Amino acid sequence: MMRWPWEQAKENLSEELDAHLQMAIAERVADGEDPAQARAAALRQLGNVPLIEDATRERWGWLWLENFLHDTRYALRQLRRAPAFTATALLTLAFGIGANLGVFQLLYAVVLAELPIPHPEDVVRIHAARTPFDQSWTVSYPAYQRLRAATPDVPMMATAYAEDATLELPNRAPIRGSCMLVSDNYFSGLGVVPAAGRLFVQTDERMGQDEWPVVLRHDFARTTFGTAQQALGQHIVINGRAFQVVGVTQQRFLGDVTGFPPDIWIPLALESTGAFAVPWDSLGPGYDVHLGKPWYNQPTIFWLSLTARIPPKRRAAVLAHWDQVFRSDREVMAEATADPAVKAALLRAKIGTAALSENGMRERFTVPLTLLMALSASIFLVGCLNLANLQLARLHARAHELSVSMALGANSGRLIRQIVLEDALLVTGGSVGAFVLGRTASSILVRWASSHNVLFAFDLHPNLPLAALGVGLMLLSLLSFSILPATLFIRTGAVQTAGSRAKVAGISQTARQRLRSNVLLSTQVSLSLLLSTMSGCFAATLVHWETIDVGMDREHVLIVRPELHQSRYTDHPEMLPRLYSRIQERLQALPGVRSAAVEMCGGIHCGWITALYVHGRNYLRDVQVHGQEDHVGLGFFSTLGIPILRGRDFSSSDTDRTQPVAILSRSYARQLFGDADPIGQWVGYEPAPHDQKFLVVGEAADARVNGAEREAPPVVYMDINQIPAPVNSIRVRAVGDPRQLAESVRQALREVDATLPVDEIVPLSTELDGDLGTEKLLARLAGIYASLTLLLVVIGFYGVMSSRTSRRRSEFGIRLALGATRRHIQLLILGQTARILLAGILPGALLSVFAVRTASHFLYGSTGASLLAVVVAGLILALAGCVAAFIPARRAAQADPSETLRLE
Amino acid sequence: MSDTAKYQNRIELLQGTLDMLVLQALLREPMHGYAIAQIIRGRSGDVLTVETGSLYPALHRLERQRWVKSEWKLTESKQRAKYYQLTARGKKQLAEDHQRWLRLVRAISAVMEPEMQP
Repeated sequence: MMRWPWEQAKENLSEELDAHLQMAIAERVADGEDPAQARAAALRQLGNVPLIEDATRERWGWLWLENFLHDTRYALRQLRRAPAFTATALLTLAFGIGANLGVFQLLYAVVLAELPIPHPEDVVRIHAARTPFDQSWTVSYPAYQRLRAATPDVPMMATAYAEDATLELPNRAPIRGSCMLVSDNYFSGLGVVPAAGRLFVQTDERMGQDEWPVVLRHDFARTTFGTAQQALGQHIVINGRAFQVVGVTQQRFLGDVTGFPPDIWIPLALESTGAFAVPWDSLGPGYDVHLGKPWYNQPTIFWLSLTARIPPKRRAAVLAHWDQVFRSDREVMAEATADPAVKAALLRAKIGTAALSENGMRERFTVPLTLLMALSASIFLVGCLNLANLQLARLHARAHELSVSMALGANSGRLIRQIVLEDALLVTGGSVGAFVLGRTASSILVRWASSHNVLFAFDLHPNLPLAALGVGLMLLSLLSFSILPATLFIRTGAVQTAGSRAKVAGISQTARQRLRSNVLLSTQVSLSLLLSTMSGCFAATLVHWETIDVGMDREHVLIVRPELHQSRYTDHPEMLPRLYSRIQERLQALPGVRSAAVEMCGGIHCGWITALYVHGRNYLRDVQVHGQEDHVGLGFFSTLGIPILRGRDFSSSDTDRTQPVAILSRSYARQLFGDADPIGQWVGYEPAPHDQKFLVVGEAADARVNGAEREAPPVVYMDINQIPAPVNSIRVRAVGDPRQLAESVRQALREVDATLPVDEIVPLSTELDGDLGTEKLLARLAGIYASLTLLLVVIGFYGVMSSRTSRRRSEFGIRLALGATRRHIQLLILGQTARILLAGILPGALLSVFAVRTASHFLYGSTGASLLAVVVAGLILALAGCVAAFIPARRAAQADPSETLRLE
Repeated sequence: MSDTAKYQNRIELLQGTLDMLVLQALLREPMHGYAIAQIIRGRSGDVLTVETGSLYPALHRLERQRWVKSEWKLTESKQRAKYYQLTARGKKQLAEDHQRWLRLVRAISAVMEPEMQP
């Protein structure tokens, strides 16, 4: 059995004192005293042995530790004796602190964290010039080469995201991975070190390698191959090309774009193989752009994002130098625009820099996450208030025991220490739960914030600020629900009065103490109302976007994504219209299918930016009007449920041998032609005299093709059968729930073309709601918080009212004996509850209205709707409070007068 | 000066002196607590009676300060007892305490009996 070191020492001390006694007796006996008398005299002389032992032990210096362990044992026993309080406290603390940690970790990862590289502040994005159509900051490969060569001592890295790649591993099913093309100096320039193997070097850029090098992200390597070491040297096939894993990055490095970590990095030279689809922009048709040929020698295809490591003090000089080098590129870009104002602006512009953090993630998430942080702080606060109140009730229940201790001479400091220790144990236990919960929570939050279209991933490793926050919250909770209440309770002498017999008529709880716990409860009600209202408003916002009229039949359409970017389709585009019509016929023959059509766009964020010139409109002569372009098959409009407002739909008589035609969306038509009829007008990609390419034959209604929460963009639709190309989606409109068609659609497509892979089948509604990540995050989390606080309010009312009624038991007994009815007693308690509720709901409502107004940016809904939310939340709270108080009220009303009198 | 402060002063003075007396008692040979008390009482002609409640805390504190060390031994009457022995540090401390004590006695004498001054 384990023995504490002081137990031996204690025994020794006893023995030492005993020896002293024995020697004293022996000496007295030797002097001739009677043994019994000698013993009594020696004992008298020795004094109070336990006191001597205590005084001696104090000299050892570790009495405090002994006391501490003793107190801990006592505290654990106390906690076991109050399982309901212990469980409530543990759960409240775990949730209260855990929620804050979870949200903070996300906030930290998205908003505050820097790249895990040396001197991250030196690394900046280079903004050379906006591309003509997408307005992105990408440059051509030749421009990159020239800029990089101009300043050999400044590491300049080029990157390009490719579409997700298919990885084929030996003896395994193919997997998808996000993929980034990077220049050979990417890792060395950033200062990333490998966890295994090596990162890219200059020779990796060599064209035409048999086996290309690939670098894997640490966690991707681990999930795919087991460990980073095991991944090294593996031969894998990516998009049909042979690769060998040469290295794995350090674990914390998740790429340089927050939220979008690539799974694999490959050399830029891979672009020329054509196996990787990379987003691009160009000067447009007619400017010597050959997308099918390698891009490395084409100065008019813009596809590379630039990043450089320049110390701040050198920045101005380096940029000025680059401006000279980039001059020729600006001139090329300026030539491509007819608008003199745009031209002048292009030539005037200078190369600038931007912090890596300016990638939209911060803009997008800072406010929602701060809002969530505020909500989390309020739930923590509600939890602490609740515990403080329960603690006061609990101390009242223990008042008798405490007063006895004090009467026996325990000092109040020691008693407070004892109570605080109990709660410190609770806080420690709760915090362990909180850290676990926080970790889980932040990964769940990331999943909620992600959407069908955008999957985020962040570095969620524990860090110092997170630990500091955790410890801070622990101390804060301990202070608010333990140290303050215990000190107040014991120092204000509540214990002494409780010790007396003055129990009748609630004297044992002074008016001030009652007020204190009432204020605590009311504050809880206010905050709970705030959270409930916010949750209601966020939910309403989400529902609004999920049900808004998008101008399409969002509930009945299925999006099927076939993989047509394969050489057997792309090499013979003229065959595609026949394939499309066979697919359409086969699908429309399926039971439950109303219609089907092909579309170039695969989903939202797809329509590429285009610019049209209008023939014969002099005022628009040199002006490009930007819009979105999409190429669609026959029956597209009826399949999506987009009405044709004027003119006609595409028909089977439109072919690659007839006049190219176009259909404009309502808003594009209005931009180009005002209120005039667009039918019969001519538009083109290039200024006059080439502005007569397409004949406008129809005008379609606007549709929110970029997602439910985005306004309908101006769109020009072309007929895919006139410009045959691989499509990215097949749309199927069902009679009922489109999900149920997925399998039969897959089967039907196999019958049409057994070799055509189908990547994915998703309902249109999922796709359209895909960008509602922030809204979903806010709605769900606020919902959870609201229910938690509601629960806490219920527990709070129940606990406080129970403790109060049990203290007033004898009072109720006397009241009943004097003729009060049970109903009267119940009303007494419910009346008290109602006053507390009212005192909480009124300020809470004001707070909510203020909060809703502050967060109005994220809320969709009128003032009336948010007021309704406040009222409903208030009613729910009032109801919950009353129900919680009803049980103690009933119990109180059952007090037996005769029993009370007997007790007196 | 408050009562508490006075009380603390008294304890301090006694404590320091008691330490010196205990160390002095142990100067010749190791002995147990009871013998130390007897020695002090005997040498002082029964004037100084060391309370057990002061002696043992003092012994344990001296041991913790490593001025004495202890071991369990049998007495002549075969009684197991804890014997305390002066350490080198203890001896040094005793010398210092003794010096300070002498200075204090001289100073107090000089104040109390000025006519005795040369």
